[in-house]
Amino acid sequence: MATSKPGSPDDLNLDELRELFNPHIESFDHLIDAGLETIFRSINLKAFSVTHPSTSKKLIITLEKPVLHQPQKSGISSTSRQALYPFECRQAKLTYSGRLSATVCLQYEGDLAIVRESFSFGQFPIMLKSKRCNLKGASPRKLVSLKEEASEMGGYFIVNGFERYIRPIILPKRNYPMSTVRSSFSEKREGYTDKAVVIRCVRADQTSLTVKLYYLRNGSARLGFWMQGREYMLPVGILLKALIDTTDREIYVNLTSCYNEKYEKGKGAVGTQLVGERAKIILDEVRNLSLFTRLQCLQYIGEHFQPVLREFRNESHFTVANAVLKDFILVHLDDNFDKFNLLIFMLQKLFSLIDQTSVPDNPDSLQNQEVLLPGHLITLYLKAKLEEWLEKGKTMLLDEIEKKGEKFNFEDFIQVKRVLVKNHASAVSKAIESMLTSGRLSAHISLDLPQISGYTLQAERLNYLRFLSHFRAVHRGALFAGLRTTTVRKLLPESWGFLCPVHTPDGGPCGLLNHMTRTCRITSFYDSKGNIKDYFKIKLSILNILSDIGMTQSLPKIFLPGPPEVLTVLLDGCIVGFIPSTEVEKVVAHIRKLKVSSAAAIPNDLEVGYVPLSMGGAYPGLYLFTSPSRFVRPVRNISIPSNGDENIELIGPFEQVYMEIRCPDGGDGGRKSPFPATHEEIHPTGMLSVVANLTPWSDHNQSPRNMYQCQMAKQTMAFSSQTIQHRADQKLYHLQTPQSPLVRTSAYTEYNIDEYPSGTNAIVAVLSYTGYDMEDAMILNKSSVERGMFHGQIYQTETIDLAEQGPMAERSSRIFRKGNLDKSSCPSIDSDGLPHVGQMIRPDEPYCSSYNEVTNKTFVFKKKGTEPAYIDYVSVDANKKKHLRKANIRFRYPRNPVIGDKFSSRHGQKGVCSQLWPDIDMPFSGNTGMRPDLIINPHAFPSRMTIAMLLESVAAKGGSLHGKFKDATPFRSSVESGSKSASLVDELGDMLKEKGFNYHGCEVLYSGVYGTELTCEIFIGPVYYQRLRHMVSDKYQVRSTGTVDQVTRQPIKGRKRGGGIRFGEMERDSLLAHGAAYLLHDRLHTGSDYHIADVCSICGSMLSTTFIQAQKLTVREIGGLPPRRAPNKVTCHACQTSKGMETVAMPYIFRYLAAELAAMNIKMTLKLSHGANASDTSV
Amino acid sequence: MEGASYARMPRVKIRELKDDYMKFELRDTDASVANALRRVMISEVPTIAIDLVEIEVNSSVLNDEFIAHRLGLIPLTSERAMAMRFSRDCDACDGDGQCEYCSVEFHLRVKCMTDQTLDVTSKDLYSSDHTVVPVDFSGGDPSSVESADGRGIIIVKLRRGQELRLRAIARKGIGKDHAKWSPAATVTFMYEPEIHINEDLMESLSLEEKKEWIDSSPTRVFDIDPVTQQVSVVDAEAYSYDDEVIKKAEAMGKPGLVEITAKQDSFIFTVESTGAVKASQLLLNAIEIVKQKLDAVRLSEDTVEADDQFGELGAHMRGG
Repeated sequence: MATSKPGSPDDLNLDELRELFNPHIESFDHLIDAGLETIFRSINLKAFSVTHPSTSKKLIITLEKPVLHQPQKSGISSTSRQALYPFECRQAKLTYSGRLSATVCLQYEGDLAIVRESFSFGQFPIMLKSKRCNLKGASPRKLVSLKEEASEMGGYFIVNGFERYIRPIILPKRNYPMSTVRSSFSEKREGYTDKAVVIRCVRADQTSLTVKLYYLRNGSARLGFWMQGREYMLPVGILLKALIDTTDREIYVNLTSCYNEKYEKGKGAVGTQLVGERAKIILDEVRNLSLFTRLQCLQYIGEHFQPVLREFRNESHFTVANAVLKDFILVHLDDNFDKFNLLIFMLQKLFSLIDQTSVPDNPDSLQNQEVLLPGHLITLYLKAKLEEWLEKGKTMLLDEIEKKGEKFNFEDFIQVKRVLVKNHASAVSKAIESMLTSGRLSAHISLDLPQISGYTLQAERLNYLRFLSHFRAVHRGALFAGLRTTTVRKLLPESWGFLCPVHTPDGGPCGLLNHMTRTCRITSFYDSKGNIKDYFKIKLSILNILSDIGMTQSLPKIFLPGPPEVLTVLLDGCIVGFIPSTEVEKVVAHIRKLKVSSAAAIPNDLEVGYVPLSMGGAYPGLYLFTSPSRFVRPVRNISIPSNGDENIELIGPFEQVYMEIRCPDGGDGGRKSPFPATHEEIHPTGMLSVVANLTPWSDHNQSPRNMYQCQMAKQTMAFSSQTIQHRADQKLYHLQTPQSPLVRTSAYTEYNIDEYPSGTNAIVAVLSYTGYDMEDAMILNKSSVERGMFHGQIYQTETIDLAEQGPMAERSSRIFRKGNLDKSSCPSIDSDGLPHVGQMIRPDEPYCSSYNEVTNKTFVFKKKGTEPAYIDYVSVDANKKKHLRKANIRFRYPRNPVIGDKFSSRHGQKGVCSQLWPDIDMPFSGNTGMRPDLIINPHAFPSRMTIAMLLESVAAKGGSLHGKFKDATPFRSSVESGSKSASLVDELGDMLKEKGFNYHGCEVLYSGVYGTELTCEIFIGPVYYQRLRHMVSDKYQVRSTGTVDQVTRQPIKGRKRGGGIRFGEMERDSLLAHGAAYLLHDRLHTGSDYHIADVCSICGSMLSTTFIQAQKLTVREIGGLPPRRAPNKVTCHACQTSKGMETVAMPYIFRYLAAELAAMNIKMTLKLSHGANASDTSV
Repeated sequence: MEGASYARMPRVKIRELKDDYMKFELRDTDASVANALRRVMISEVPTIAIDLVEIEVNSSVLNDEFIAHRLGLIPLTSERAMAMRFSRDCDACDGDGQCEYCSVEFHLRVKCMTDQTLDVTSKDLYSSDHTVVPVDFSGGDPSSVESADGRGIIIVKLRRGQELRLRAIARKGIGKDHAKWSPAATVTFMYEPEIHINEDLMESLSLEEKKEWIDSSPTRVFDIDPVTQQVSVVDAEAYSYDDEVIKKAEAMGKPGLVEITAKQDSFIFTVESTGAVKASQLLLNAIEIVKQKLDAVRLSEDTVEADDQFGELGAHMRGG
């Protein structure tokens, strides 16, 4: 077993790790390489034009040549700009961004001259380690010199010093018509059913439009699409006729081609007799509107949509209709003929859904899903923002024309440009930046996305596993979080191998926030060599190959027959032809073979979704996908002979469902017939996420325990960063002396987790000792702790920017300086107003001071909180200004283990330290004299069944005796061929026995207190323990007296403000039930808002009493005695006398009630009496 | 009961003695005494350890507390410790803990000037008292300077330009207060086992079975004579009370094949010292401290007349 030795950072093998972050980085790289160009091209097709209202001269504004620059430092001379590095952004709270510039072209219609003007679109945030990042391609050694982690992987942005990333969201699979049943469909309009075929069409620039084909109760269908925030439904017949020149007969034949009497109820038949009748209804509908020709249909569409589309106000109906068909109907296809064919296919699928010859597709299944990647989200948001900018420029120009009238020469480029410059182009990048900070999209137009907020999150570096998990997480969408049903959260078999079944949080986001497995990748625009894929070429070569092996290409005037005779072939949502169903399996096998071979033009991540003929199963067909942002994972294609890795095939969740994949340990897949496997899993651990892969022997644990461990691994206080010196995180947890686990999985080495270890190999004894280990409590050895076990720190950075804090008027004149402070009052502040490094700061002690040069006033910053801290580091922003105005002060809180801190093993066994037990009182081993570091209770095992923890203990004991790390990769026994018949326990037991230890890991221990033998064998051995970030010091809440609420005079709440814990109604009930009246009185009255009120017994009011200032009596003071308190003279304001004044003890809230009632014109009167012989109050 | 004395005279027999390791037998006494000795050796024999660190310059990668903690754990030669005062009850310095009677001052000044990583070790600590210095593990062997032991205990590693400058005060203390004052790495004892093999039953076993039975013990306690094929105890003390052989005998259908009992009055001690105090001295100091503790509970002489009241206990407590 190779271990990474401390040494050159260049020794690190980071390829595996890089693979994990790839989806994020590649998607952003695509934006840089091609995405911007694509956006500009798609905008230019729309061509924003401004027409002068009076002269009707037309100005066309287009964009071209986008350039995204590398991040550079601002200021300094613009000629020799220095590169800006991420660490500088983190410390100075800047945004890591590069300039985005583009050329704006102005052209008058009919004029050949084009004026090009370069515009800067502001500072565009740049993803770390993307192609425009200054760290791109840097070696680990270089990274270290740039104050980064040696294994920095990027994938996130730095916005105002915060590391933020975009969390991928699950979206419906693109360009695949999905049969859907949703009750909300039937509520759309009268006559609609709950069934529809939905297709999410995605253009080349990643913008998408969802189109729904609804089924009507009368047998017809409507195509629904969204336009400017409203859904429009068009009779499908009109669309069919408008798309191409066709006849009713052709449409009829096309629609009914899927029905053949011969196959009536046979296997794979999708059509029924009813299809013909429905086709008639559809055609009749059109005829009833007296639309007969294509032109009439286009006229009809144009007429209806002209009012909606403002930019086509002056165009002909024909142009409008074509624009509608192009921009809103099945937008992933360019050709109307393709659109027609797809519409026919969708209708056939819809009818088959109605006739129950096929089942609806499950939208919650990974089979029908893809993922929205960070780069793509930015691409489509950027496009929206650019369009907004152009739109705004247009209105500004029109406004200018209207305002200035004759004075504004529309035909003068310089004047036009002057107006356009006023339209802040940098707002485009600003919008992207604010999207990253807030995670909110603020677009005016619909982006066809499931949610508008919650896209970005902070990439916390609590520990490395947590950080890494951020980039492997995919969320189902915030929409589903509020849903009451749990169906979306269910773990479906379709997600096998793509999403980890273990690594999902419990509680709110359970099942919605999933993590990709270790082997799962996401397809991108790049092929394996890093070149951008040419989809046109790919499509051509696939078509060539398909036609060569028996596909009939779809051509105009050729009717597509349907299943079961032939299967329709769809390539990225485009119908390309059909293959006889007898040939399909051969074709599929052939394509797969070509896919795996590197020479073929077929991309290796092509998804060959072959849905076979069935009896009322999924709608059959051969669906090919080459698109980006699909999930893929490698499996071994065993039908292709190979001795190395040449038969590794990338498969997607759509095709996986219909494939036969063998898994070691999976037996024959639970079937009686022999397993006709064509594929094989590479390793069973491929179905687990990275974090789940780190649990040793997780196959021996009860599964919920592995889930808990995934949670706790991410809450561990660990060695979080190697560059703490150069960071300014708000809060950072750090374990002082971490260790490498003795028992580890192969993933641990593969991903270099040793760079960021997260625990300690503690000697754990499993016994019930002293009683302090009851109920998941654990006893720590005091001496072990004193020797440094689980010691740690919290680093907290306070950023003080005098230019942004305090009252506005003073901001410009404040600087860091000690000023006129007394030296003795704040010894920790140096003359520059900043603290000494290494200085201890106690709570409420000043640590930093600012001086106002104008008012000569000094202001001190006082330490908040209840813990003393040390000044770890002070950094100042000395950029260009004369005086220091901005500083980062990092505090260090020592956090050594105390009673109440939380620890856990790697098997979901968490516990709280209940005692730091003296070493001499701990049980000791007679042979070795060892005392355990930690004692846990045996009751932690029977119900939780974490056998792997016991195995870990034995293995670590054997490993440490032999001086070896022990491999604990799960499912090893099923992967290795049966040569080693010995079970795992035998293997481990022999290791112990060899060194003279008990086979089962038990030892005889002696009581540390009495020196007598504990009359049972005790299981003892090293277990890797993690210290969790939940610490009592952050949580304890205690109060005797303190601040009270201004209004009610009751104790306030909130730990931060020194408040108490509410003694609520249920607590009160329990005291009542116990009859603990005195305690109740103490808690709710004496300890709360005890108040002595003066009440006038004559009028019964307690609000009308007033104090009379006691006259200064000349009382001689008697030496030594305190001066006699002058009795407060109280009178009733209403009765004008002080005769009946009495004092009554009551909760202050009662007085408050009286005052509130008085405000409502209700008088509360108290009747006072001694003893219990009278009723008390009346109103 | 009258007149009978239960006082026993415990005997110690030293088997093995090195500077930092000792193995001895303790006989004719109880577990309570043996355990008291163990506990005292671990946690109450005083040593000297760095207790207060004043850091002047620290530009190393480790923070101040970390370095202070590491310094504290360095074992210092503590022969003087028994004679030293605890700084809390030192009259000379009013509990200030900085006088020569109760403290030793250390200085450390290191700066790395080269491109090579500089190891700051316990050898860089300069003591104000030559009797209290960091423990040298090289055993006085000059050739071992290059070896890991010879270089001392690494405190921190420095890169070019980094510096560590500090003053440290070492004080006397006991392991009960903090583990750094514990002079013992390990102190353990085991009850001497008494092993009786039932020869008759043993003879009923075949050679194979005998070998199998012997092998069932993880440690080598029994052996078989190749000539006579007789099973004998070769190393009774290797037995770790794991009951493996007894279980094996039962599994073979021969319960009572061997009888193993722990002698309740004989103990075999193993002492490993951290180097602060020699193992032998550690034992002597421990006995001394046990005695002091017992002295503290001894009844005063003027309770002689109260003998009626305390009877035998009184005499016993006065050392009778």
